[in-house]
Amino acid sequence: MRAIGKGSLASILAAGLHAVRIVIFIAFFGLSIAAVIMPFLPMLERVSDGIVSIDGGTVSGGDYVKLMSYFVSFGVMLFIVNRLLEILKTLRFGSPFVRENAVRFRQVGYALLLGEGAKIAFGILGAIFDAELKGGTELTTWIAIVAVFVLAEVFLEGAKMKEEQDLTV
Amino acid sequence: MAILVKLDRVLLDRGMSLTELSDRVGVTIANLSILKTGKAKAIRFSTLEAICKELSCQPGDILFYEEEG
Repeated sequence: MRAIGKGSLASILAAGLHAVRIVIFIAFFGLSIAAVIMPFLPMLERVSDGIVSIDGGTVSGGDYVKLMSYFVSFGVMLFIVNRLLEILKTLRFGSPFVRENAVRFRQVGYALLLGEGAKIAFGILGAIFDAELKGGTELTTWIAIVAVFVLAEVFLEGAKMKEEQDLTV
Repeated sequence: MAILVKLDRVLLDRGMSLTELSDRVGVTIANLSILKTGKAKAIRFSTLEAICKELSCQPGDILFYEEEG
């Protein structure tokens, strides 16, 4: 099976990523609504009192930290999946060695960096507000981040070489 | 770029069109246009040889060096 072009491995991967994107988008959308509503839950409970029975429970700071951590995680995931889909598009419909892909890989690297930074920050906040959050960081993630930045440089060099080749008569 | 391509001048002297040269040397018009307009980053010896053969000229008749300033 071909790796690039139409009907290739890249096409199958893109189809899978499209499905993943929809799931992440729905989760992200739901989390966005929850993030907006959550601080007003006790107030909504008071307002609805006597009309309908809403049991929102007590919203602690820890719950909000947990929600925000998921919100940032899904936001980062959505951003990365979108960039990967754009990269796969160039793989399917032409040459992947374009300067835009180097920029996209760099953006993925920064997003991973942000995600990891947020994980550490929310881990600390979780400990403060007593939220059940898995904080800390892993070495493999940092290796992956460095690898993505290296890949971005490889693509930039590849793009430069391709430009030169295209302009060789 | 410091290297100037004077292909259009040689073509004019020989009374040959770019299309005709393209047919003779087997290089696409698009590529010859890149060369003629000075956008090319490199030229293969085989291309230069074919152009010089068809235009009965020397590489120095097509390529010039000009100090950048």
